[in-house]
Order: sequence, then C-alpha cells, then structure tokens
Amino acid sequence: MKRLHTRIRFHQGLFVLLLAALAFGCKREPTTWTVDVALPLIDDGWSWVDVIEASSENGSIDVEEGAPAVLRFEGPVADWEIPSLTELPDTIVAQELTPDFMGGPFPVPPGTVLLDSEEDIVFQGIDQQFSGLVLSGGRIDYLVESSTNGHVELQYAFPSVTIGGEPVELKVVLPPSDGVAFQTESGAIDLAGAVIDLTGVSGNEINRIASRLVIGTPADITDTAQVYGTDSIRVRMHFQDMVVEQVGGYFGQETVAFDVDQTVFQPADFPGGFLQIEPTRATLQFRNTIAADLRLQLDALSVDGISVSHPELGVPQQIARADWSGEEVEPTVWEIDLLETAPLLFDLLGYLPEAITASGEALLNPLGDVSGGQDFLDTREPPQLYLDFEWPLEGAVEDFRVVRSLALEGTDLAGFTGELIVRITNGYPVHWNLNGTWDFEDPVLDPEVFSSEVAAFPMAEVTEVRIPIDEARLASSATLIIEAAMTSEGPVQFTGAERVRLQVACEGTYQVSVQ
Amino acid sequence: MRGWLAYLFLALSCAAQGQLDSLTWEATAWGQHRSNTLSNELVGLLIHGGHIDRTLVESAQAAQAGEMGAFGYASGVAVTWRSLRPWKETESRLCGSIQFKTLGDIRWTPELFDLVFTGNAGHLGRWDVLDGSRFRAGTWIQAAIGLEGANRNRIELGIVYRLRSTDARIRNGHLYVSEGLDYLSGYVRGHMGWAEGGSWGLAINAEWHFLREEAPFAFHLRVQNLGFTVAPKWTELQVDTLVETTGLTFSGPGLSVESLTESEGASEVITTLNEPYRFGLMPFRIDASFEYPLGPRSGWDVQAQIGDWMPVPRAVTGYRRAIGKRWQAGVQLVAGGWGRLRPAAWARWRKPGEYAWMLFVEDPFGWGSNAAYGRGITLRYQNL
Repeated sequence: MKRLHTRIRFHQGLFVLLLAALAFGCKREPTTWTVDVALPLIDDGWSWVDVIEASSENGSIDVEEGAPAVLRFEGPVADWEIPSLTELPDTIVAQELTPDFMGGPFPVPPGTVLLDSEEDIVFQGIDQQFSGLVLSGGRIDYLVESSTNGHVELQYAFPSVTIGGEPVELKVVLPPSDGVAFQTESGAIDLAGAVIDLTGVSGNEINRIASRLVIGTPADITDTAQVYGTDSIRVRMHFQDMVVEQVGGYFGQETVAFDVDQTVFQPADFPGGFLQIEPTRATLQFRNTIAADLRLQLDALSVDGISVSHPELGVPQQIARADWSGEEVEPTVWEIDLLETAPLLFDLLGYLPEAITASGEALLNPLGDVSGGQDFLDTREPPQLYLDFEWPLEGAVEDFRVVRSLALEGTDLAGFTGELIVRITNGYPVHWNLNGTWDFEDPVLDPEVFSSEVAAFPMAEVTEVRIPIDEARLASSATLIIEAAMTSEGPVQFTGAERVRLQVACEGTYQVSVQ
Repeated sequence: MRGWLAYLFLALSCAAQGQLDSLTWEATAWGQHRSNTLSNELVGLLIHGGHIDRTLVESAQAAQAGEMGAFGYASGVAVTWRSLRPWKETESRLCGSIQFKTLGDIRWTPELFDLVFTGNAGHLGRWDVLDGSRFRAGTWIQAAIGLEGANRNRIELGIVYRLRSTDARIRNGHLYVSEGLDYLSGYVRGHMGWAEGGSWGLAINAEWHFLREEAPFAFHLRVQNLGFTVAPKWTELQVDTLVETTGLTFSGPGLSVESLTESEGASEVITTLNEPYRFGLMPFRIDASFEYPLGPRSGWDVQAQIGDWMPVPRAVTGYRRAIGKRWQAGVQLVAGGWGRLRPAAWARWRKPGEYAWMLFVEDPFGWGSNAAYGRGITLRYQNL
C-alpha cells in the first residue's frame, strides 16, 4: 500500500512537470514575413459636368452629346434675402402683481382668483405690419417668482400662438414662500413650428400676440394663503431666437439692397487658363416669389471687378407680386439677356473668373399697400437669381488648368516599400500637361514632384507615372495635388463624352508582423 | 491560471485514485501536431516567432500543390480506471475516466496560403478561391463513469466542461486583381464564432473487444467523446460582402475615399449574432483495430481512426514483437489524419503483476528534423 502511494506521488510530479513544460516552454517573439501586394486604389476623373458643377451647387447640368456637344445649365445661382422680414427682435414681457393694501396677513382661501386679465403682447422694433407668422425656430424662456406664504397658481395662455393646432399655455403652481426668499420656477417653451396670429385680442391689430394671465390660489390644494401687503408675484416671458418660416401682413415700403456675389470658378480648383465660351442662350432671371410688388433696379454687373454694361442696367423694373393662391407659388419673372452685355460677359467668363457681382436695390410695395395687408413671404421659397444658358462645346482652350487634391491620412505600414502607379487616360481632343505634388506634413520628408505630358485623344496612350513610396511617406499625413493643364491647337469641337481618367494603383513589399 | 488549476485537479485525481487498492488504472499523456504542408521549422516560427524566409514558404507551397492545406494538433491527459470488485451481484465492474483534451484543426486553400504568405502580386489575373478555409479549436475536461463487462468491454457516460470553443470558416470567398491593376473583386461569406463562457454537455465513451481463444485474431472498437455541449452566450461575426471596384473615387456615391474615411470600418460589413446558447456536437473519435498474431511472439496490427476533426481518416499498420519477458516493441506506418505517410514506433516495458510503461513516437525522424511535417508522442502508465 505504501509502495503504491509512493509510485502515485512520483507520477503526479511527472504529470505536473510535463504539463508545465508544455505550457511554459514556448518563448514568443514576433513572427514576420514579407508579402508582395498589388492593388488598385483610385479610379476617378473629370468631365465637362465637373467643370460647371464647381460653379453652382443648385443648378441642373445636362450635356447633350453631339458634334458639337451642347452643355445646358438651368438653376438658381443666388438667393435674395430680406432680413427685415425674416429676423424678429427678441421681446421681453414682464408682469408683477402686488396687493393694494398694507400690513397683513390676510387669508386667501383655495380657488381664489387674484388677477384675471387679457392683454396684447406687443413686439417692439418691427417696422412692418405683420398679421401672422410661422416660426421654424425660437423659444419662450419664462421665470415665475412668488413671495406669498401660500400656494400660488399661475396660468399664462397665448390663444393666438398654436403648435400643432394646440394653443400655447403656461401653467405653474408655486409652493409657499418662507417669507425670506422668493419661490421661483423657470423653463422654456419651444416655438418651433408655432403658428402666431399677430392681430391681438381684438383681431384687428398688428404685431401683437393676445394673452390671458390668471393668478390665484389653486382650488385643489386645501391651504389658505396668508398674504401681506409687501408680497408680490412676478412673471417674466422672454421671446427669443425666433426664426421666421412664413410671414404675412403689410411689408411696408422698404428699400432693400440687392447685392449678389456669386462664385464661378474656385481658384483652388481652376487656377487659370482660357476657355472659349460662346453660348447660344444666356438669360439671367430675377424670380419674385414674394406676394408683394417690387421695383428692382440693377445698377452694376461686374466680373472679377470688371464692369459690364447692359441696356437694362440702371433702369427701374416694376415686378408684380407672386401668386400664392394655389398650392405652389407662381413667381413673377423679370429677365435680361446676358448676350447683350458689353464687353461680352462670356468672354470674361472664359478667363475663369472667381466671382460675378451684381448690385442694385429693390423697393418693396412701390405703390403702397395695394393688397390690403396681404403681403406674404415663405423663406423656403426665397426670391432668386436664376441662370439659364446653353453652350455649344466648341472653341479654343489655352492652358485651362484643373486641380484636384486629396488629403491622405497617415497609414502605419511598417517595412513597406513600393511604388504608387499613377495612370492618366485622356479622352479630350486636346493636349494635357500634368504636374503632381505629394506634399508631406512631416518636415523631414521632401515633397515628391512628378510631371508628365498626355497627348490629345485619340492619339493618346495611357500615361503612367511611378512614384516611390515607403514606410515613412505612408506614415505621414499628406496632400496629393494633381494639376492638369489643357491646351488646344486652335478651336476644337468637343462631343461631350470627353473625360480624363485618373487611376492610382499600388505595388510593393510589406513585412507582416504578428505578435 | 485556469490551465494550472486544471493540471492540479488532474494530478490530485490521480493521487486520490491511487489510494484505493481496489482499483486498477492507467494514465496516458499525449501530444501531436501534424500538417500536410507546414514543416516543423515553419510551424516553429509561427508559434515561437522569428522571420519566415521565402524559401520556407515556397517549400510549403510545393508540398501543398493543389490540395487543401491542413494542420492539426491534439494533446491531453487521461486517466481510466476500473474496480476490481463486481458491481452488486453482477459480473460487471464499475469503471470510469477523467480526461483533459485540447484539439485544433486549420485548413486552407492553396490560394489563401499564397495570399497570406506571399501576397497577391504574383496572382494578378487569377481568381483566388478561398472556399472551405477553416479554423476551429476546443479544449475540454470530461469525467465519466460506467460499467465494464467481460473482455473489458465498457461503456461510460461522462459530463463535459468545454473551456474554450472557437469556429471560423470561409464558406465562399474569392479575390481577383487584374494584371493591369485596374480591377479588384473580393468576396467573403463566412463566420467566426466563439462561446463567451464555458460549455457543459454529455458524452459517451465505449469500448468493445472481440477476444476469443478459438479465434486467431482480435478486434477492438473504441468510441470516444460522442456527445454534445451547450455553449451559453454564443457570439458569431458573420460577413457576406462583395467588393468590386476599379478603384475608389475621391468622393461621391458608392465606394469612395471620402466614404471610407467616414465609415466605421469593418463593423459596417460584419453582422454580429448573439445567441443565448448554441448546441454543438463534440469532436468524437472512433477507432477500429485488428490484431493478427504472426507467431507466438509477434503480430500484425491494423488500425483506422475517424473523427477528431481530422480531414481524412487516419490509418495505421505495423509489426510488433515481444523481446524477453518484459519488453515489447513495434514499428508502424501511419497515413491520413492531417498529414502524409510517416513512420511510428513504440516500446512497452512491464513489471509483471505490478505496472507497465509504454512510449509511442509518431514520425521519430520529425523530432530531430526541421523538414518533417509534424511529431507526436504518447506516454502511458498502466497499473496492472
């Protein structure tokens, strides 16, 4: 028996030693090996639509392919804002109720009404005669204070302010004050989507909100308030940050500046060159969507500071009110033909200007209140400058430069060495000069600069540039800037199907490391 | 820490059983790894670390050729016992076992191996198929009790506690990059699942031995770990995504540099499945062996094994001979399982009426050679 026991202990020790050797006999260091990778990364390019899209985010562009192709643009290029109609001043309404007697205390039983008054809240600082509003934003911050030794109930109703069809009402019950400090309650009422009738309690006023304030003791709390002559109950309502969505009433005779500064070609994207632009149709429209008459006078039109003249400039134009009687607004349109400018506006546009500026002024309701206070503005449908033009893609191109840049985050690929393969396929019947810069944020790394020439289509072959890359370059944040300059030998005809294709691929060796 | 506790538990179990003079028992410890592709040197570098030279990778590629690559490992300790006293009024005896086992199985397509260890640059213009690549691993403890009858035929019912359970699989997948580096197509439909905690289950072990004095041969059939476990809190990441691109655009709809920068990474293409429990079968194993005496002191053995997640059945054949009164030894050829044809050898020494030791070594040359494709050892002590 003892012998068996001894043997077992020997084997137990053997097992433990064997398993410990298995568990801890392994020393671990990173396992590494190298792999050769080759992957496509980027496939992008630009066409005529990209050229025009850079000048407007709202318009619709259509390129009708043909010989030559016709590029059409139709859409708003600028909105006209009238701050006096859309920006309401903040308004504070304060009420204080104090007893008419001295001394006290006088018992006030539950359910007693101390004040019940209806009155208009007047919006100060508005020159127009508004009869109604719809707000897309705004709020009422309220503060109610009481020094009364008893429960106080306050109801502040705004029957002419409705949200979702329900009138806005503030109901507050304040607990008894200790006679030293005021009992207070504060909060905010969201006015987003609020419909406001500004005709006041009588229904015939302007810029006024009807309100009813009731102060008393709550009927459902069996507590008799003890009121002293020195007690007071205060209410403070602060209408603020109101954003108008719709407004109606009489907008008055206000002269509003008309200054439009529209970006055409971003220098960052189109740094220079000349593009022969000879449109067959080009009209600039002013679309009045306000239900109010306007007298518009465009005084000046300039391209990057160069003034152009037009027969309509400086001539007051009477523009009738828009029709809001249907489901959709029927704007009143006044237009000028941009082909009649001198010098020709599109000759100037051919030099890729940064901005077009139009300036003038407009007078609201030049004939007075002809609608009987029925002016109307919906800020979702603002008055706009609208461009409609048609451009056959035919002409000369001189050093027309397009820039595309790409911000690259640093990538940790330890031990990577290889090449970026940049390929350009030219579908334009013009010659391109290509310059690229890979600019690293790491000051130790010099920028990689490469250049190439791309022959005109259809003679062009795929142009390939190889840029060496390594671990340090990949680890640094960088910007890849590619600038392409297009030049034609005299006037050329474009079909509209032209496109420059930029492809970037990567080839290299990477050392994998597994811990 | 958990591993140490398991080892301690096993050792204490051995000690406790040894106190009982009414038992006869045996203890076995084993460990092996085997591959049809990965040499010992390559496996060593993957496990212990170091730089894998391209020649090693090329050698593995040549070994794999067009077949599925496979690597498996199994190790554990087991103690089996039986009572010397009959069970109640019957001829049967109580028996039982306790086992700790860990098992792993990895398979891959030749293309997946190439992509992982050499990259895709040498595969341009080729469709790399990833279908069927898989990794699974499990570790469990089993304690079983049963009855043993005549000829040591026995059946046991065991309770299983599975410490770890992982299963990852690419059901379908491919990668294609055109020679001009202007088109990429990648697709993966697969999953990776694991149990957040230990799993409990039941398993059956059984042995049936055909031993007849009138028959000139013996036949043995063994079934191990035939059962199931129920894993609580099973988490599974599923992916079914095709990426097809000629390159990313800088911005705009679809796959672009901008959208990738703003994306939440792989989580956008991975679906996480959380199940309160997952029913799973245990990796069972069935052994069938045939022994035929060639003379009074020698014999011929044939054995076939299936299960244990082995990609193909494992077949063993060998010659054994008794040497003196205490020694027995044999040589074998082993085929299948996770690897190719390899030799094996064993020796047994016994002290009559007291105890015996047995040592089995699979691929003996693999213990001294980096060029071999695995190695295995089994050490057994029998209390006679």
